[in-house]
Amino acid sequence: MSERKKIPVILDGDPGHDDAIGWMLAKASPELDILAVTSVAGNQTIEKTTYNARRVCTLLGIEAPVAQGRPGPLLSAPITAGNIHGQTGLDGPKLPEPERPLSPLGAVELMAETIRKSPDPVTIIATGPETNVAALLLAHPELKPKIARISEMGGGIAYGNWTPAAEFNILVDPEAADIVFSSGIPVQMAGLDVTERALVFPEDFKRIRAVGNPVALVVADWLEFFYQFHRSIGYAGAPVHDPVAVASLLHPELFTIREMYVAIETQGEYCRGTTVGDVNGSTGRAPNVRCVLDVNREGFVDLLVDAVRAYDGKEVRI
Amino acid sequence: MSEKKIPVWIDTDTGVDDSVALLVANRLEQLEIRGISAVAGNVEVPRTFANARRICRLMGARIPVYRGAEKPLFRELHTAPYVHGVDGLGGAPLPASEEPEETLPAWDALYQAAQAADGELQVVAVGPLTNLAIAFGKYPQLKGLLKRILIMGGAAQGGNVTPAAEFNIYADPHAAQMVFKSGVPVVMCGLDVTMKAYLTPEEVTEIGSHDTPVCRYFRESTKMSLAFFERVTAPGLCPHDVCPVLFLTHPQLFTGEEAGVYVETQGALTLGKTVTDLWSDKQFPQKNAFVVLDVDRERFAALVRELLLSY
Repeated sequence: MSERKKIPVILDGDPGHDDAIGWMLAKASPELDILAVTSVAGNQTIEKTTYNARRVCTLLGIEAPVAQGRPGPLLSAPITAGNIHGQTGLDGPKLPEPERPLSPLGAVELMAETIRKSPDPVTIIATGPETNVAALLLAHPELKPKIARISEMGGGIAYGNWTPAAEFNILVDPEAADIVFSSGIPVQMAGLDVTERALVFPEDFKRIRAVGNPVALVVADWLEFFYQFHRSIGYAGAPVHDPVAVASLLHPELFTIREMYVAIETQGEYCRGTTVGDVNGSTGRAPNVRCVLDVNREGFVDLLVDAVRAYDGKEVRI
Repeated sequence: MSEKKIPVWIDTDTGVDDSVALLVANRLEQLEIRGISAVAGNVEVPRTFANARRICRLMGARIPVYRGAEKPLFRELHTAPYVHGVDGLGGAPLPASEEPEETLPAWDALYQAAQAADGELQVVAVGPLTNLAIAFGKYPQLKGLLKRILIMGGAAQGGNVTPAAEFNIYADPHAAQMVFKSGVPVVMCGLDVTMKAYLTPEEVTEIGSHDTPVCRYFRESTKMSLAFFERVTAPGLCPHDVCPVLFLTHPQLFTGEEAGVYVETQGALTLGKTVTDLWSDKQFPQKNAFVVLDVDRERFAALVRELLLSY
């Protein structure tokens, strides 16, 4: 069928191993048309996540323009996750150097231009802190009708990770998350409730490695890197958070999704960055979020294996 | 040693499930209830005080009952007549106590009881934790005299009065935080377990069908809250406050985990949330609480029935 049938998307993230695997899945999916890629400060500094975004795009053959985001959150000081993703933000296998120049536009400018030019409403897949998306909504309220939905990885209805009550992406920029969640734009939230069940085990990344193409080998290495770290802090497997934001968009049938009212706590001694889900309906407020809560793990892994197969025959110079 | 009883203090905002907890505790031969203190919560303190005394009369027990705080430390009092009725006992007819009223404030009486118990006193606190907080404030040495505090309150996940907070903790989050920070080990029976510790409507009806004063009281007082729990789609009647009492004598009915637990006192949406590190990568430096998460419901229900029918 024609290109028109595809869902136009912007990939906004802070790669990051799991961001990169999410983008791998996005690029491999014929349902998606990647219009732009924007970097955000999160897992590492903005310089590092931008460089990583460009390297990942080169590896995957994503030809959309890449633009750099703000140096940090809207209000608060940056937090990074070097302990998980390494000093580069994407430690592990060697990657190709960026082939294409960075966009002269800033992330929000590129997002706005992309959305304005797109004949169809655009979906934003946000796998880092929501800084860029929030800045876009503040600066360009006129574009809201042209944003079909925001599919994000962040938060957790039941618990947090970076603090007992907050997940990393939301904790880094709670004000931005608040702007996004209360924007009125449909939000799909892949939080820790589901992503810590989207576990990948050694037998899974062996299957990916066995596919044998250059992208498959890199993805297997990333997963193994991610697995080793998470094993060391007590996880049974590697929670591959960010690909859930892509997979739940493409294959909702693999997930348990519940509509819920969710608000962001921006204050508090312990709860800054908590995604407060109205599980029992005690606020009486209408749902604003599609919460992804559980996953068919085997189906999810099959999706990743099928996705790396899409790169068969693609040459990569590393 | 086996006949040595556990000295226990019960702090309550005597509502319906509080009264069931008192009825159950009084029939547990392992326990020696040294005193009861009333606090504002489900209803105002004049009623919770009078109700605790009425329940003592119903039980035929001569346990001293002390009057406690009229309002939370900093917040306004918000009661829950929609669960407990205006009188706090679901409108059940129950004669007033004829015992003379104790005049010692709750916190002073608790402190004296703790001193007398040589470090063995355990406190079961099933309302807002205001009385305990005031006692810790007045008597810094109290923390060394209490063996354990078992509360009904909080939730590791979710809430009931708000999406993030449970009624007792939300009512006085600052007091709760003082208790969790007190250094006394806390057993937290929150919504995680209490919503699983229910009596089915059939079980409630069966208990109420026995023609004794206690069973008649149980039948009358639970009508309103049973209807409430049906409205909030609970599978039956949740006598929340019974959980910490039975945890004291029958810990084998319950499962849970050690955790760090602190109370959010500054959140805009999360005020009164009991923040636990049960499932997060980041851990609090100390495990100050045991969070009860599950219960053997059938044995729980059978035990409650047996104790109520023993009157």
